Amino acid sequence: MPTPFHLAWFLQGSSIQAWGENWTGNISEEWMAPDMFLDLARSCERACFDYLLLEDSIYIGETWQASRDIFLRNGMSVPRQEPGIVAALMVAATSRLGIVPTLSTFAYAPYLVARMVGTLDQASSGRAGWNMVTGSSDLSARNFGLDRLPDHDLRYDMAEEFIEIVTRLWDSWEPGAIVADRNSGVLIDPTKVHTIDYEGRYYRSRGPLNSGPCPQGRPVIAQAGGSDRGRQFAATYADTIVAHVKGVDAMKAYRDDVHARMKTCGRSPESCKVLYLVAPVLADTPEEAQRRADTRRAQAEKHIDMRLAQMGWSTNIDFSTFDLDAPVGELTTNGHQQSLAQFLRKAGSRTLREAITNYASSGMSVDLVGTPEQVAGQMAEVMEEVGGDGFLFALPNVSRRSVCEITDGLVPALQQRGLVRREYTGRHLRDHLMEF
Amino acid sequence: MRKPFHLAWFTNFTPGDWTSSFAGTGSPWNGKFFVDMALAMERACFDYIMLEDTLMVSEAYRGTAEATLKHALQVPKHDPLPLAAMIAAATSRLGVVATMSTMAYPPFMLARLACTLDHIAAGRFGWNIVTSGEDTAAQNFGMDKLPPREMRYAMADEYVDLVCKLFDTWEPDAVAMDRARGVYADHTKVHPIHFKGKFFSCRGPLNTVRAPQGRPVFVQAGGSPRGRKFAAMHADSIIAVGNGIEGMKQYRDEVRAHAVAAGRNPDDVKVLFLVYPLLAETDEEAHAKHQRMVNSPAFIEAALAAISTVTDIDFSQFDLDKPLPHLTTNGEQGSLDKFAQWGSGKTLRQLASERFDAGLSMIGSPDSVAEKMSEAMEEIGGDGYLISTPFQRISRRFIIEICEGLVPALQRRGLVRTEYTRTMLRDTLTEF
Repeated sequence: MPTPFHLAWFLQGSSIQAWGENWTGNISEEWMAPDMFLDLARSCERACFDYLLLEDSIYIGETWQASRDIFLRNGMSVPRQEPGIVAALMVAATSRLGIVPTLSTFAYAPYLVARMVGTLDQASSGRAGWNMVTGSSDLSARNFGLDRLPDHDLRYDMAEEFIEIVTRLWDSWEPGAIVADRNSGVLIDPTKVHTIDYEGRYYRSRGPLNSGPCPQGRPVIAQAGGSDRGRQFAATYADTIVAHVKGVDAMKAYRDDVHARMKTCGRSPESCKVLYLVAPVLADTPEEAQRRADTRRAQAEKHIDMRLAQMGWSTNIDFSTFDLDAPVGELTTNGHQQSLAQFLRKAGSRTLREAITNYASSGMSVDLVGTPEQVAGQMAEVMEEVGGDGFLFALPNVSRRSVCEITDGLVPALQQRGLVRREYTGRHLRDHLMEF
Repeated sequence: MRKPFHLAWFTNFTPGDWTSSFAGTGSPWNGKFFVDMALAMERACFDYIMLEDTLMVSEAYRGTAEATLKHALQVPKHDPLPLAAMIAAATSRLGVVATMSTMAYPPFMLARLACTLDHIAAGRFGWNIVTSGEDTAAQNFGMDKLPPREMRYAMADEYVDLVCKLFDTWEPDAVAMDRARGVYADHTKVHPIHFKGKFFSCRGPLNTVRAPQGRPVFVQAGGSPRGRKFAAMHADSIIAVGNGIEGMKQYRDEVRAHAVAAGRNPDDVKVLFLVYPLLAETDEEAHAKHQRMVNSPAFIEAALAAISTVTDIDFSQFDLDKPLPHLTTNGEQGSLDKFAQWGSGKTLRQLASERFDAGLSMIGSPDSVAEKMSEAMEEIGGDGYLISTPFQRISRRFIIEICEGLVPALQRRGLVRTEYTRTMLRDTLTEF
């Protein structure tokens, strides 16, 4: 019997993300009430996924010709709704699935993050998580009165204080603090609710949390640490990691590295599940799947400006000033370091045109192309080599149809092989993550 | 600007698609699959979901239930009425039509069920009137065989007459709910019917409050000339089989003439034609998908078992790769003639693969199928289509392809509803 692995969904991009694709109904008229995303959550639950993660960004891109035009014209990561609100609606639409919104440390006060995620954990009976990000664009910083984001490593110094406050606030109510003793008339035992009196270099918070204790104690923490600092951070705090590393060898090396760091921190490697981003291409026959993959590549070539704008969006680099037919060369960023490093490593001596086409038409961590049966086999092989812990689906075209190809095509094929969950046995999100 | 037309969906509480790459689980028995389907249809502003039903496990093919069960042909099939209640509760505008056989329910029970469901659906329930056409079904209800066809129709006429009288046993204002006088229902406005017919008798009144629509919507599938007349007299909507544009136009014209003869406004009878759309990104992909489906051995065997069921002829006895000998049946001769395409010289295998052709090939990208539907409806004159799938093999992906692909393509052409303007099913049907 093979070891089963975990599945989750990584919902990225705008609230009308699949605009212009087939099978998207009247999405451009109906998106404000996020029914399609709620159907996505229900579908993920039907497929027994561990969680659905809502990615976020809090600005409109301008990293192409120093203008918002391409981002607005094509709806690239805009419009997008507040993930905390969408997460609450998803919590109400489901009963077993974990719901993990992204909240940026530069945009929210630590107390508010603890309270918002804590409330989601309460409302969902223990299914909430927080995807911790530090932000990656100066444009977003300017929406919050800052000139620019702090430097990458400083952001992680600050994030450590931030997460210390958040976890201590979650711990500010001891288990059993709510006594609800009808005889003595005492609801809460004051001796079990504590201030945290945190005084850091960057943040201070007194506590205790006024929203009360969480069903999970501490809600789940998700993180996408790719850089050295990011990995260290994830190894210290995360229950699950969103990993975007290209190729089986890199995937295995990444997980081994995180496990080694966890051991140094005194954590058991099983207590954090590394899930790899993938964007499978599925169809009824192998030929049709290949055609779809070819179309994805042709689209990347045709819309090279959009793909470069997207890369610029996550790395703060305006590629419109670059020569498409010259080698990419060396670049640095204060944004997503891992994304840029991956891109540069894959690019090698290729021209920018070739490099971005390859990058944008790949299936993220590994290419998965075929019938559901074939892709299930490919995923089994990858997991066998990497060692665990599962996959996060991140489709560029989230429609009810593309979702159902995963949940009603691929997942049943994986279930028939005994590779993924067929029914939930735990109550909380952390139970799902620790089930196997 | 072309005239808009109506959309409904013909389905049943069976396993659906359980074999294809995107089939899902094949166990929809908690009903949630169909609730999700109804929600998708409501988003696409369909008139109604129609839940077909039969009451037997067929043994017509090879004299055993083997093929029926192996291919899940109409079996297992769960009761449509609890499902209708679930769908009605989950939706707010979509019509919910369930099939009940006059053979299986005493008229009083049927009227009571329909009335109750019309309340749960707030005026969106419809009854699909069937008489049952299989001796195996009759045998499940204590009969040796069905009554002869003519007698079945005479019984059905009387049955419907009785049920309509029961729906009227409560006057519209019978529920007074007068708290000052302490009167819930006014006994002078609730009447017995003392019905004594040739086949049925019933005292009445119904013990349920008058239905929101007064009489729930009646749906009927009238194929034979006698059936057409019956349908034209009673039905709000007719389920019609496609047999080429000419035949469909003729059928509708005839139904409308019958309706006029019966003193009805022909626009009150919406004739919807069964179609079997098959969609993909491109026309080529759709045709390839269709070819893969109809040429698979399982499809051929299922098609033969299905035609055996309705004709009582065991088609397993004939060579698949030779033309059929000439045949007649005491079952559905019309279905047999349509299936056999006499004189075409086609082999039995070809005939089986063309079982769901309907004379309208709705295969292609959403835009091409929308165009075909538009052109065909223009020629037929109205009133719309009932979506269906071969053997009711339905998957979530198929539902999405219709509701998120085909329907928006029709909506962009102004051919179908983009929002509900009425709340009750009969009003939705007569909106245009």
